[in-house]
Amino acid sequence: MPEYIFPLRQGVGAPSVPCVKEGETVRRGQRIADIPEGKLGSAIHTSVSGIVRAVTDEAVRIEAAAEQTKDYVPLENADPLSMIRASGLVGLGGAGFPVWAKLGKPFAPEKKGCVIINAAECEPILSHNIDSVEKRPEDVLRGLAIEMDVMHAARGFIAIKKKHTAAVAALQKALAAYTGEKPVNIHLLPDMYPMGEERAIVREVLGELLPPDAIPLAAGAVVSNVETAVRIHEAVDLGKPMIDKDLTVAGKLKTHPGETIVMHDVPVGISVGDIFQMNGGLDEYGELVMGGPFTGHRTEIKDPVIKTTGGLIAAECFPKGPEKIGLLVCACGASEERMKELAASYGSEVVDIEYCKQAMPVRNTRKCLNPGKCPGQVAKVLAIRKAGAGAILIGNCSDCTNTVMSCAPQLGLPVYHSTDLALRAVNHKLIRKIHIAPES
Amino acid sequence: MSMTKEMAQQHLKDPAVFCCRRQKGLVISEADLEDPDIFDDMEEAGLLKLSDDGLTVEQVLGSTLTKDVEALTPITKDVLDHVHEVSTEDKKAPAASAEPSVPAETAKTVPQASIDNGVLHIHIDQAEKLSGFTLDIPLPKGPGLPPVSAAGPASAASAAAPTGKKKVIRTLVKKHMKITDVVIGDETKIENGTITIDGSIVEKAVKEDPLCKSLALDVIKPDQRHVYTNTIMDVCPIATKVEGELGEGVTKVADGVVFMLTGVDEDGVQVHEFGSSEGYLDEKMYFGHPGCADKNDIIIRCHAVIARKSGMTRPGPFAAHKCEDYIIQAVRDQLKKYDGEVVREELCEDCRREGNPRVVLVKEIMGQGAMHDNVICPTEPCGVKGGQKNVDCGNVPIMLTPNQVRDGSIHALTCIGPATKEMTRHYIREPLVEGLAADPELDLIGVVFVGSPQVNDEKMWVSERLGTLLETLDIDGCIITTEGFGNNHIDFIQHIGQAGKRGIPVVGVSFCAYQGQLVVGNKYATAMVEENMDAGGFENNIAGCSCVTPEVAARAIQMLKNKMAGVEVKPAPKKWNNAVINANNDLLGLSETVLVDSGTLH
Repeated sequence: MPEYIFPLRQGVGAPSVPCVKEGETVRRGQRIADIPEGKLGSAIHTSVSGIVRAVTDEAVRIEAAAEQTKDYVPLENADPLSMIRASGLVGLGGAGFPVWAKLGKPFAPEKKGCVIINAAECEPILSHNIDSVEKRPEDVLRGLAIEMDVMHAARGFIAIKKKHTAAVAALQKALAAYTGEKPVNIHLLPDMYPMGEERAIVREVLGELLPPDAIPLAAGAVVSNVETAVRIHEAVDLGKPMIDKDLTVAGKLKTHPGETIVMHDVPVGISVGDIFQMNGGLDEYGELVMGGPFTGHRTEIKDPVIKTTGGLIAAECFPKGPEKIGLLVCACGASEERMKELAASYGSEVVDIEYCKQAMPVRNTRKCLNPGKCPGQVAKVLAIRKAGAGAILIGNCSDCTNTVMSCAPQLGLPVYHSTDLALRAVNHKLIRKIHIAPES
Repeated sequence: MSMTKEMAQQHLKDPAVFCCRRQKGLVISEADLEDPDIFDDMEEAGLLKLSDDGLTVEQVLGSTLTKDVEALTPITKDVLDHVHEVSTEDKKAPAASAEPSVPAETAKTVPQASIDNGVLHIHIDQAEKLSGFTLDIPLPKGPGLPPVSAAGPASAASAAAPTGKKKVIRTLVKKHMKITDVVIGDETKIENGTITIDGSIVEKAVKEDPLCKSLALDVIKPDQRHVYTNTIMDVCPIATKVEGELGEGVTKVADGVVFMLTGVDEDGVQVHEFGSSEGYLDEKMYFGHPGCADKNDIIIRCHAVIARKSGMTRPGPFAAHKCEDYIIQAVRDQLKKYDGEVVREELCEDCRREGNPRVVLVKEIMGQGAMHDNVICPTEPCGVKGGQKNVDCGNVPIMLTPNQVRDGSIHALTCIGPATKEMTRHYIREPLVEGLAADPELDLIGVVFVGSPQVNDEKMWVSERLGTLLETLDIDGCIITTEGFGNNHIDFIQHIGQAGKRGIPVVGVSFCAYQGQLVVGNKYATAMVEENMDAGGFENNIAGCSCVTPEVAARAIQMLKNKMAGVEVKPAPKKWNNAVINANNDLLGLSETVLVDSGTLH
């Protein structure tokens, strides 16, 4: 029988505290771990019915029963914020911040706060959010409406890239039927990475560029991704805990080579290997990436899908890289550790590590001073060449990559992008020079 | 990378180049423009081609882009809605702090008083750190010329600092005795302004050292300069004590005459092979520079032939100096009792100016051995006898008073690469010593001489000793000079680092120029003054060409004052550019640095 793994850390905050014992029989939807008392964190529910096989400091492991159903143990009826808290919902765009905490402090009326649904789906390949917008736009709107209510927001926005015409049309149609009192508008975004970065969204929609250590609240905004809105609707209106996840699966798939497959309502805790099996199995691959090509991380067959898992990509095999390589690390893409991991897989020695000058250290990570607006990279590229690198590995956004492409090749430095092998696995255009479209 | 507001202010006159792709409708700010400091590297790498129709930073800031433009593209007027016209008047307007390079025209046309708040732009060129140092120095008040110039009110540094109370420790009077002719005759004497040297003295002099095989004397008059000369080993004044020890009392200096030592070995190999200055004298000496003969000086040439293959050893060249000193001593003995016309009486004072910034001058001198040596504190001014060789002293820093230096405490064994070496005459009239000692705004504690050993480990060791010395002197600033090119720069930059890491404001003075990229640097080498006077920016074979001159000294002293006062010294462009030096000369009211074309142009 397949074993489902529920790590106790599935988002921001302290690890959840298990509330089941080994040998206990559990039903799908049943709470298996609580929010640690008095701390930031989230509850966890089992996505399958079965028997608890192990409870450790790291995870709860459940052996799934042969028969599984779609239904679940519903949440107790209560006010929306309490139900959201009880549901274990975290931000599903990747960060995993507990939604109850994010929505915990309503805007003062004079603030005229707003809720923005981030439908940028900025990572290439990932497409389950846009798919939801197309298929269930009213659920997205409903989730937004709940958030606006909880936050006492004066208005709502759905920020979506202009290129997703079908999704935009679906939204417009749903909006026509929308009867809420507070205005909701669609804000169209240009097709550039990283438009989906929280602060980039706020900048685009509200025209306010936040400092790197600020959260959207500073601009009177709350930003939620599409699936989060849908799951809010499910928690509040249907009493459904956060047990199922939407995913995009892609890459080196044996029976669906190069395809991008959207999966809705995958039970959390299922193994990565099972997901690939469900889609025909894996072909020869270089690495498995959990998340998007830009910000995802390496994962293994045995790892479980968690609440924040958005993509599972089997990337192309690693070709032999240059002898020596230099890294240009930025805040919007792969971290330094991730870049080193990639360099090692390319078989290249890292001879220089440069940071984009806009990549500001914030807490444990880095944030871009002005996402998607290049501050110039020539000096960094020259430094990397001077260090003796035979090529440069970057993880930059579209605009910064364009700058690198304006100088590195002329210097005889081939450019590798951290997203290359994931994108090649789906025959997606690589992140390279931006070709200016003829004036419209 | 793109610039900050502050950086943009420093680069207003530099070309405007987009750092990244920019789209139509953009209002251009400094965040869109590449830092001009890396243009040289970019051009070298073939990434950038600046064109004449490119606009400057100040012309494009605030303009709106009318087309999408690719990264690293120089901005031209056809992609902008408008271009800021920058009138000449605007340029002159003392826009407070950040008026950039402009120097030349600005300074010339503007009366000195309005240089207030302008910028002193000093340059040194070289690449890496040391290279290309251009220094833009905003001058908060008055040009702050070296003391002599009555022109300015007290300069910036001084305005803040109290004027120290002067306390004279000792005085030295240098009596310059008028000499109008020199003849080689039967006895050595001085009469009526004429020096006569016994021609047979060379026979006795040569016995001073067995490595010296022969000596020859002749006289070169000012109107006979186009004569062939072997490599110039030294220019040495005739000076002698008549009262007191070195640095005090009374010294007589023969005016209008100098000794010049030249030398080859028995095989005719130049002592300074390779890097010698043999050739026609008028082409091989920079007449008028501190270490050289002046235009109207009579030159007594002493030519030595030393033992075969001894040119690259320590004893060989030293033998020549020693034997020449025997001859000079005979003249000194006559000068002591000569009571002829005194052209000039020069009063030198060792003094404290308590309350003023405490500064020292550090002079790095040759100490690698062979002819790379210096004799310190001989018995007679500029002599050899009685002194200790720098190399034998382990090249450790040795402190002298300004008066000791001005009384000929250094006898230089000039080595190969004559253009950048300081000869004996240089030290008795060293412009930095003169300038610092006389400056009423400073308190010159002393002059440190530190040798440059051959071995790198020893260089570090010596430099650390210097660092300790500087720290314990509790100084507020220092100027460090070096002579030569290459090997000596390793010590030089160490010395700057030793001062810098102790938080002591430091100004470096050196020949760097075109090959500055070969010169090492460190983060403390931010205030550098260039000595180069060669048109190609190379170390040429003209003795005394690229050394400390009065202009170099004035720039260095002003830069030190600004550094101590916390006034920003702007970075130099990467490549050597004499215009930067002249801009600074202009701002200080100094004469232009005119370069010599010696065939090193490339």
